[in-house]
Amino acid sequence: MDELKIKQGLKDFFCNNLGIEADQLEYDTPLFSDGIGLDSIDSLEIISYVDGEYGVSMTGVGKDHFYNINAIAAYIVANS
Amino acid sequence: MINDEKRCVITGLGMLCAIGNSVDECWENAVAGKSGIGHTTTVDTKDCYADYAGEVKCPDLDTPENEGIDRVTKLCMRATDEAMRDAGLKGFNGDGKAAVIMGSCVGGAVSIDSYYKDGKKNKNTVLQMPISAIASQVAKRIGAGGVVTNVGNACAAGTISIAYAADLIRSGKADVVVAGGSDAFSSVPYAGFISLHALSDNPCSPFNHSVGLNLGEGSAALIVESLAHAKARGAHIYCEVLGAGITSDAHHITAPRPDGEGQMCAIYRAMASAGVTEDEIKYINAHGTGTAKNDQAEFLSLHTIFDGKNSDLNVSSTKSMTGHCLGAAGAIEAVFAVKALTENTVPPTVGYTPEDIEALKAKAGDIDFTPNTAKKKPISAVMSNSFAFGGNNASIIFGKSPRETKKPAGTKDIHITGIGAVTPLGNGVGKYVENVNSDAHVTVDTLRSAVSSADYDALGLKMAFYRKLDRFSQLQAVSGMQALSDSEYTVTDDNAFDIGIIVGTSTGAVDPACDFEVMLAERGNAAGSAFKFPNTVYNAAGGYLSICSGIKGYNVTVTNGVQSGLFGLGYAVEVIRNGDADAMLACGTDSNSDIMDELAGCVGIVSDKVVAPYKGKDKKFTLSDGSVSLLVESGEKAKARGAKLYCRVTGFASATHGTALDTVEGSGEALDRAINGALSDAGLAVTDIDGIIGFGNGHADIDKVELESYKRVFGARLSDVPVISVKERLGECRAAGAALSAAHGALMLGGEIKTEKSAYKIGKKTEKTEVKCASLKKLLVTSYGLGGGYSAVVLEKE
Repeated sequence: MDELKIKQGLKDFFCNNLGIEADQLEYDTPLFSDGIGLDSIDSLEIISYVDGEYGVSMTGVGKDHFYNINAIAAYIVANS
Repeated sequence: MINDEKRCVITGLGMLCAIGNSVDECWENAVAGKSGIGHTTTVDTKDCYADYAGEVKCPDLDTPENEGIDRVTKLCMRATDEAMRDAGLKGFNGDGKAAVIMGSCVGGAVSIDSYYKDGKKNKNTVLQMPISAIASQVAKRIGAGGVVTNVGNACAAGTISIAYAADLIRSGKADVVVAGGSDAFSSVPYAGFISLHALSDNPCSPFNHSVGLNLGEGSAALIVESLAHAKARGAHIYCEVLGAGITSDAHHITAPRPDGEGQMCAIYRAMASAGVTEDEIKYINAHGTGTAKNDQAEFLSLHTIFDGKNSDLNVSSTKSMTGHCLGAAGAIEAVFAVKALTENTVPPTVGYTPEDIEALKAKAGDIDFTPNTAKKKPISAVMSNSFAFGGNNASIIFGKSPRETKKPAGTKDIHITGIGAVTPLGNGVGKYVENVNSDAHVTVDTLRSAVSSADYDALGLKMAFYRKLDRFSQLQAVSGMQALSDSEYTVTDDNAFDIGIIVGTSTGAVDPACDFEVMLAERGNAAGSAFKFPNTVYNAAGGYLSICSGIKGYNVTVTNGVQSGLFGLGYAVEVIRNGDADAMLACGTDSNSDIMDELAGCVGIVSDKVVAPYKGKDKKFTLSDGSVSLLVESGEKAKARGAKLYCRVTGFASATHGTALDTVEGSGEALDRAINGALSDAGLAVTDIDGIIGFGNGHADIDKVELESYKRVFGARLSDVPVISVKERLGECRAAGAALSAAHGALMLGGEIKTEKSAYKIGKKTEKTEVKCASLKKLLVTSYGLGGGYSAVVLEKE
């Protein structure tokens, strides 16, 4: 599985579905920080996207794996 | 001694929900602890993890007479009929002091569902979608001729409706109000709560296993009446409406503040307003949804307020039997609270096992959460709480005997001190004045307002916040923050609870609700978006504005057509007059999209050209959008901080003559009454008025009703009173236009607009004229709602 492709897919998802401006989001940008400001509602959307797109369940997975796009992509690669 | 005009009493009750089709049946089942929650049969549950709901099973709800009317209004009509019968009222025959206030969360969501799933792309289905269709149709049916509006504050709407009804009576604007709420179970809320993982996959168990809620549906109506009016007709009196408190969390769009600050302030305000102390409340019908976040916050709030001060307090959540009926919940629970008071019986919270009851004992402290079994005891006063999406909190108190209120006195000295404007021709009050001075007009290609990152940057709004907003909320956040900025008003910890928000909107969240429904129609109810769902409630925009501004006081969203923006200004003024706030943001907002253009096309009253007011021969107008916010403030507070005063707001009235939902034909007499009512409220005569900011939009019937009314009210003098319509330049931007009309008047009186080049002289012929604003002292502002509702406001020069 192409990890870079996964990262680009995640970034597109964040920008198109969670209202994040592309120029403010890098793969290592913390997602639940003040800058991006994701919250519990957004994590439901991320879980739903990852499950639908990659068949990987992130329900109940620890916060660290949602830290940034790199962390989510790494979790998907490790669990698919 | 409180006089009989200021005492509000309940004289009639009506309701239906999952546990019955009448008050008696619901009450009997509630006291018996019989739940109406079961597996849903009316909504598609494929691939959804939870399928419990509290549905109404009423075999005679659908009648030949109400065919084509959305289920939400059918429920409301049935509850209203029962309440009217119970109160011994037959109808109001156009009485201007008879009002209808109905709360709802999702309005005609069943019609939205059928529009997209069954392909019923017809005019009537579209007209049934907005929340405003509910009160409009109910008022027409019973002949209410006064204030007619809906409250769109999601799960707190029913409680706020009753609180507002009591305020209208105390301020002398109504004698009798049919107040309540209604919501029908449908795909949008079901799929939305599924997406949020907020539904329980078992029957819910509030304050017990707080793992989620079950949705319900239903409606309740209460006849709220001045004691004088009730006595005069020999009505049976259930109890007094003692007081209410309304606040906003300024925290999160769906979750309550974990520390309960806003909830507690609403409860304290309700007690002060009612003049009761903690130990006098013997029963609280809790919001008690059964979600972890609600139950934890409410549990904390109740213990913080009542522990050590009340050793005889019962609390229960009747949602354990009815499900969460959203905008109807507060009304249904108010009926349960009134019945508890008058029957001296507390209905239970059901669903506790013996082990649960032991666990409850360990954590409940002094409060009796009334598990499984009703409790009989003497009750003198009861409270009902509702907490909603958008962070809105409402608490109301009913009692057996009157008390002196302990809330602060209000003032009639009220000024406009700030203006924010998002329009298709640009944003900000400075830009608006520039457009007026250059006489700029919209074209067919520039009918939608827009906000950019430059607008957000100028107001200090960050991407982490505004990324969540849909168009409606974007326009509202920017115009609201602009108004605060224009007035140099700083929200601080000290004043946050003394400033509030009224948002008026014509179609509100119909657009995001339809957008959400499109997704469900394509991919099923399991495919809802948790990100988008919060924006499907009408009060999301007011909630986001509260979050970004820090405003924690009164917060209500009203929806009664185009007039909502002006009606909201009148409502905001009333809130300050009543002593419930020192300052209020009064906002009018409506947003367009491709979805809204398609829906408007179905209704057939939108032109594809730019139509000028007072000239149109067709029954069509130019549809645009926007958001306008006005900061209104008590004179004392505004002067103390050296605020700029645009003008004073001295009079407000609203009146209704019910028509079909797509017209105003035949309703002009209500505009006469609204104008005369506003003048009377301001202590003025028609001869005092120097100009009118009207509502003409080029639709032949709407323009005609307006001008004919002015001819009746002003007589021969009308030719000396110039009429201006902001829609000349901006199109029919609906609630934004209604609020902008008042803003335009404020700018003329305040000296910002020196010459108005697009005014009309109404004589034998309607002619264009120019107005020099320096000589203007008193202006009348009017607006309309399809369905025959009108608002009028009087503005006076400083």
